[in-house]
Amino acid sequence: MIKVQQEEFDVQALYDDLVVNSNTGAVAMFVGLVRHFSSLPSQDCTFELEHYPGMTEHNLQTIVEDACSRWSLNAVTVVHRVGKLAVQDKIVFVGVSASHRAEAFQACDFIMDYLKSRAAFWKKETQGNESKWVDAKEQDEESLSRWE
Amino acid sequence: MNELNVVFFASLKETLGIEQYVFAGHLPMTVKELKMQLAKLLKNGDALLDKGIQSSIDFEFARDGNIVNEGAKEVAFFPPVTGG
Repeated sequence: MIKVQQEEFDVQALYDDLVVNSNTGAVAMFVGLVRHFSSLPSQDCTFELEHYPGMTEHNLQTIVEDACSRWSLNAVTVVHRVGKLAVQDKIVFVGVSASHRAEAFQACDFIMDYLKSRAAFWKKETQGNESKWVDAKEQDEESLSRWE
Repeated sequence: MNELNVVFFASLKETLGIEQYVFAGHLPMTVKELKMQLAKLLKNGDALLDKGIQSSIDFEFARDGNIVNEGAKEVAFFPPVTGG
């Protein structure tokens, strides 16, 4: 399942959906949160995620298909939020179920690495009256070389 | 003459002051050629030539040398992505 949405997501419900059959022996999950990125109090900070409707979903589908071709997986779920968020809000959920832990861990790691550099999302941080688009990190691009 | 929808995102959209532009011109051309033409046509268009600006053709990431064919519907320009 792949979803791009404004709404909050329920980790327990997403976990339950990943346990699809009795072959499932491992579920690996990653949840990304909005860090407190400012010296100002949390309530004076906002965080915004923009995406490219159509392309973003296509990018995520490609990444998940790539993961499924590399490892034997039972189910994959990616949920990514967009719009305005607050400090400590959940941003992204990646969950992978498989028969064994190695596949689940590796596929989850792979999907997050590619999501960071190959999915059309952009983050903007606002502290008080000042807004700044978040720069991409070189190390995110370098992380992809682990999977080549 | 072809018409091509061009869209912009994030900081580039703010710098250009527009999120969409209908480009009229003769396709095919490379992404780089399209970028050069748009840079002349749009206010603050030089921002398109900044190192690091990325692009896509019909939802697929593209590079400067990729061809925008006659059948292309939409090209996007944007800064490096920062999801997750």
